[in-house]
Amino acid sequence: MIRLIENLCAINGVSGDEQDVAAAIIEQIKDYCEYEVTPLGDVIAFKKGAKHPRNRVMFDAHMDEVGFIITYITEEGVLRFATVGGIDNRVIQGKPVVVGKNKVYGIISSKPIHLIDRDHRDDPIKAADLSIDIGCRNREEAEGLVSVGDRVSFDSPFVRFGDGFLKSKALDDRAGCAVLIKMIQSDLEYDTYFSFTTREEVGGMGAQTATYTVKPDIAVAIETTTAADIGGVAPEKRVCFLGKGPVISFMDKGTIYDKRLYQLALDTAKEYKIKAQPKLGVFGGNNAGSMHQAVGGVRPVGISMPCRYLHTQSCVLQEEDITATYDLLMKLSQVYAICD
Amino acid sequence: MNCKDLLMRLSSAVGVSGREGSVVAMAAEELRALGEVSISPLGDLICTIRQPEKGQKNFMLDAHVDEIGMIVTWIDDEGFLKVSPVGGFDRSLLLASQVSVHTAQGDLPGFICSIPPHLQNGEAKNPKFEDIYIDIGYSKEEAEKRVQPGDIATFVTPTREMHGGFITGKAIDNRSSCVAVMRAAELLGSEDKPYGLSVTLTTREEVGGMGAQAAAYTVNPTHAITVDVGFGWTPDCKKEQCRAFGGGPIIGFGSLLDGEMSRTLIEAAKEEDIPYQTEAMGGGTGTNADSILITRGGVKTGVLSIPQGYMHTPVEKILPEDIENTARLLAAYVKKEGNRK
Repeated sequence: MIRLIENLCAINGVSGDEQDVAAAIIEQIKDYCEYEVTPLGDVIAFKKGAKHPRNRVMFDAHMDEVGFIITYITEEGVLRFATVGGIDNRVIQGKPVVVGKNKVYGIISSKPIHLIDRDHRDDPIKAADLSIDIGCRNREEAEGLVSVGDRVSFDSPFVRFGDGFLKSKALDDRAGCAVLIKMIQSDLEYDTYFSFTTREEVGGMGAQTATYTVKPDIAVAIETTTAADIGGVAPEKRVCFLGKGPVISFMDKGTIYDKRLYQLALDTAKEYKIKAQPKLGVFGGNNAGSMHQAVGGVRPVGISMPCRYLHTQSCVLQEEDITATYDLLMKLSQVYAICD
Repeated sequence: MNCKDLLMRLSSAVGVSGREGSVVAMAAEELRALGEVSISPLGDLICTIRQPEKGQKNFMLDAHVDEIGMIVTWIDDEGFLKVSPVGGFDRSLLLASQVSVHTAQGDLPGFICSIPPHLQNGEAKNPKFEDIYIDIGYSKEEAEKRVQPGDIATFVTPTREMHGGFITGKAIDNRSSCVAVMRAAELLGSEDKPYGLSVTLTTREEVGGMGAQAAAYTVNPTHAITVDVGFGWTPDCKKEQCRAFGGGPIIGFGSLLDGEMSRTLIEAAKEEDIPYQTEAMGGGTGTNADSILITRGGVKTGVLSIPQGYMHTPVEKILPEDIENTARLLAAYVKKEGNRK
C-alpha cells in the first residue's frame, strides 16, 4: 500500500490534467473490475461482489492535486502563474517546482530578505506577484520549453520519517486513490462502484458527473482532511489527530452528512475495534458536496485520513491511519450495502 | 580543479555558522595540494600558498564558508522542536518546508508545521520564529533520545543544474565564493614571486564575521579581498538593485573600501579582458570586509561579489562562468598589484 501511494504521489496531476494519474490507476485495477473513463476524465469502476446489494454504494477519491497553471511568459522568459486549488501564499515562495509535461525544473521566485523593508517582512507576497524562474533569458527560449496552460506541481519527493509517518506532495488525495485501488483488488461481499475523479480542488465537477453516471444511493468521499494536531495549537482547535484512525465527518463547509450513515461508521469501527475519530469542527469540504446534490440527491458519507500540512508540498500522513481506513471501508462496504 | 563539481559537493555539505567543520574538511582536501593548511581556533581554514618575503605585500583572498540555518532550542511535550534562526533567515520561506535535523546519531527529516488555509481566519502574516515548530514524527520521549538542544537544522534541497547552465541549491551563498578563491589560488599557485598569498575560508560570517576577523589577524595581510555573493537579477527585484548573471564579478566601491583597490580591480579586468560589473555601497558592506579592514593596524580591503539569485533561500542560483571569471579577476589583481612597487 505504501509503495503504491509513493508511486501515485510521484505522478503530477494538477486539476484538469489528471490523465497520467488515471492511467496509473487503470493499470492497477484493470484485472479486477469493469471500468470506464468519462468525458471529464473520471475513472468509474464496477467491482462485482458475491451478492447484490440493497443499496448501490459508490466510493470516491479524487485524482487531482493542488498546484499552479502558467498564465503568461514575460519578455525576460519568466513565467507568471495562477494557483489551482487553495494554496496558502506563505508555503510557495522559494520552493522548487516542475513545469508541464516536459517536467522542466523551476524555482518560485523569492525576493532576498535583504531587499525587503523591515516594515514589510511580516507580509506574505501574493501568488499573483510571484514568478517561476526556469533559467531562461527571454520569451523565445522559455516558449521552447513550456507553454501557457502548462500545469505546475511541487517538486517534493516522498519521505518516510519518525514513527511511521510519510510525507509527500499530493497525498491529498492519492492516498485515498490507493485505498480504493486496494479495495478493488480485494474480494468484496457486494457489488460496489468506485470513482476516481477529476477537478475536486476546484469545485468537484468530476465527482458531480461521476455521481450522475453511477446513480448511487450512498456516496462515500474518501479523503484526507486537515489535522492541526501540531505544536502551538490549542486542543479544541486541532480538528483531528494523526494516529487516531479515519476521521468521520458530521458536517463541513460543503455538506451536512447523513446522520444514520455517520453513526454506522462510528459503530462499525467500534464493533471491529478499528480506530476512528469524529472530525471535531466544521471546516473544509470535499467531493461529498457535489455528489450529494447530484441525480435527485444521494446520501453522503465523508471518511478521511487525518493529514497534516494539507495543500502544501509537505502533506504528512501516518501509516496506521491508512491501514485503519482500508479496514473500516472494507467493513462499511458490507454495512452500507444492506443498511436502512 | 573541477569548479562545478566542487561547488556541488561543497554546497550539498552542511556548515551552518559555528558548525562549519565538515565543509572545511572537504575544502582542505582540495587546498592541501596548493599550500600549507591550518585550522584556526574558530574553525577557519587558512591556506598559506606563499609567505611574503620581508617587506613585501601579503595578499589574503577570503570567502566565508558558513551558511544560514536553525538551531534547536527546545523539545515540547509532544516532541515538536522549537528553533532559533542562525543568520538572516527569511521567515516567508518557513512554512511546510522540509528540513534536516543534524543530530549526533545522524540526520532526521523534519517538516515545519503550518496550519492549512481551511483552518485559517483573518489575514495571514509570515510566521515569527517563536511561533514555528518542526515536526519530526516522534513523541517527546523518542525525540529526546535522538535530538538535543544545540542541534542544527537546515533546509533540504538537492544541489542541481537547471536550464540555462545555472547551479541551484542551498548554501550557494557562499560556497560559490569559496570555489572562486580556491580556483584563484590554483591559478596563482605555481608562481615564484616575492609577495605572500593566503586563502582563507572563514566561519561565522552570517552572525557577524568573527572568523574573518580572527583569520585576518593571523594572516596579517597588507591587501585583502573578500568574495561574497551579490544580487543577481530575479523577477521580483528592481533592476537597479541587481546585477546581471553572466556579467562577471561585481567590483565593490564603498565608503569603507579602498578606492584605489577598486579601481585597480577594474584595470586588471580590462587588461585581461574579464567581464565585470560594479556596485557602490554607502556604509558597511555587510560582508567580511567590514571586519577584515579593522584588523591589527588596518588592512586595505576590497569586495568582489558573484551575482546570485534568491539569496538566503534553499533555491539560490548561480552561473559557474561568473565564478570562474571571479577567480580570474582575483588572480589578475594579485599579479598586477603584487608586481607593482
